[in-house]
Amino acid sequence: MTVSNDLPGGTSTVDRAPDLASTRPAMRRRPWLQALLPVVLVAIMAVLGLVLQASPLLTLQEVLALVVLATATNLLLGGGGVVSFGQGVFYGVGAYTVALGWLHWQLSFWLTFFLAPFVGAALAVPIGLVALRARRLYFALSTLAFSELAYQLAESRYSFTKGANGVFGPFVPASLTNPVTGYFFLLAVTVVSLLLLWKVNHSPFGLVLRAIRENRERMQALGVNVYRHQLAAFVISGFFCSLAGAMFVVYSQSAYPELLDWTTSGAPVFMAVIGGMGVFLGPAAGAFIYQFGHDELVRYVDDWQLVLGGVLLLIVMFWPDGLLGTYARVRWGAIRRRRSSGGEEDSDG
Amino acid sequence: MDTVVTDTVGVLTTASSLFIVATGLTLVFGALRLINIAHGSFYMYGAFLATTLVAHVPHVGFWVALVVSPLVVAVMGVVVEVAVLRRLYRREHLTQLLATFALLLIFADLALRLWGKDVRGIDPPAVVSSNFRVAGAVVPTYDMVIVGVAGVVGLGLWVLLARTRLGWRIRAVVDDPEVLSASGTNVPLLLTGVFALGALLAGLSGVVIAPQQAVQPGMDAQIIVAAFIVAVIGGLGSIVGAAVGSLVIGIVQTLGAVWAPSWASTFMYALMIIVLAVRPWGLFGTPER
Repeated sequence: MTVSNDLPGGTSTVDRAPDLASTRPAMRRRPWLQALLPVVLVAIMAVLGLVLQASPLLTLQEVLALVVLATATNLLLGGGGVVSFGQGVFYGVGAYTVALGWLHWQLSFWLTFFLAPFVGAALAVPIGLVALRARRLYFALSTLAFSELAYQLAESRYSFTKGANGVFGPFVPASLTNPVTGYFFLLAVTVVSLLLLWKVNHSPFGLVLRAIRENRERMQALGVNVYRHQLAAFVISGFFCSLAGAMFVVYSQSAYPELLDWTTSGAPVFMAVIGGMGVFLGPAAGAFIYQFGHDELVRYVDDWQLVLGGVLLLIVMFWPDGLLGTYARVRWGAIRRRRSSGGEEDSDG
Repeated sequence: MDTVVTDTVGVLTTASSLFIVATGLTLVFGALRLINIAHGSFYMYGAFLATTLVAHVPHVGFWVALVVSPLVVAVMGVVVEVAVLRRLYRREHLTQLLATFALLLIFADLALRLWGKDVRGIDPPAVVSSNFRVAGAVVPTYDMVIVGVAGVVGLGLWVLLARTRLGWRIRAVVDDPEVLSASGTNVPLLLTGVFALGALLAGLSGVVIAPQQAVQPGMDAQIIVAAFIVAVIGGLGSIVGAAVGSLVIGIVQTLGAVWAPSWASTFMYALMIIVLAVRPWGLFGTPER
């Protein structure tokens, strides 16, 4: 709201030399605004934790895990233009790390929660090495195959994973099973994760990733090792997707094969598309809409997939930038027009 | 000797049913550069329509279904192409992937509305429901029907693509739609036709497989992954690749189920991963630009 109240005099700063690292010129003019939005959002979330009942708080816990999952998936999608239908592997592995650590070796929850993202990252290295050799559709399909492979392994290795039943158990410490403390713990983890992911997105590395998406051949010609950059992004994404899986355990106190299925892997892609892949907080917004939309829908209609599919189809066809993306594009468009009418060249063709 | 015959028949039957599903997928990719995730939905609708037709048209029901179901599914394909996909060809691959994923979700719930959650099944028609013996092994006649249908489909597609002017246009459209259009081909109509043919093949495979497998919700998501694997191993867009891919998967699935049943479900995925690691564009495919 505050952003749209531009003073006419404020436009002059935009007409300076274009700053490549800045994706939001509107906010760059007033740096405090950029810092204010997340602070306000976190404050709202904290207040919700103090006033809400146990049941909506548990739903919010799940949403927080999905926020991290969707934002980490979008590092590949929005950042690198890489469509992975395999992020469910890391989500599931994160959850299983906590559950199996307790089941087989009686490891403490805090240790496995800390280890989970590193297990995911370690697993992302070989998967990424193989999958990233393929491009575009072949890449999407090979990540899908990894997802199904993990799903089948989790389901068929009964002695290790308890098969289709999954692992349920009292492996979450009592302090976290309380909805309020559990919620604040997950909120803290989410805030730290998003800050780190934001840092990655806005680092020179993130900039190179976006440049690869825009023009892979040009970056190759410039001497950028595309494969290595995308592999690094894949590993970072795997790290945070696994962390999201460990967060899911705090909410659900369980791990089961469906977490690894390819339809699970599709969910964070949906969230990113609904919220807007081009904006950092887009997938997070998408995660909220997806989960609460789902919870409301299943109360009233049997076929919620029909509605989800319909909404998704309409967004894909008519609203490709998603919820927050449209807002960002409108602002970009306004700034571009202003800039080009001032006689300056557009920096990106 | 009899186990060799039994295994061979098993491999051929599995491979043939996979081949019919995968050809439609690979044909559509070859001409439209589109991965149709809703291909499994067309397959499921073919099977569901067959159960309905067999229930309502006694005695000759199966043969009616074999002709009518694929045609109805082809009409669904036309509607999908004209209403949705045609508007997305110029957009990113991701857009088309997600649109067909959305269609999968929509079709899945519509099928639940139309046919419910019950597991259905149909009997093979009386003429081909018996067994015969080869070297001491019992071979169901209907298995040979599946192999026969796959043979007809494979041969028909090969003649169409390699020996006719229409096939030449289908192969040309992906590389140069502008020139093709300038030389007098109605390109949008051609693309709609190819997509409808792909849907028809999916519907046909659904009918053909219905007497052998449980017809139930969820068979769409299940088959689509298997069809992808077959098509990707062979190389998307290649009919020969689809044949080789389905044979390879048929061997792995059938022999895996005999020799290592608890691992069998994972072999197919592991194999695809190995193939893609060596040849990221599949055995008979061409590298993406």
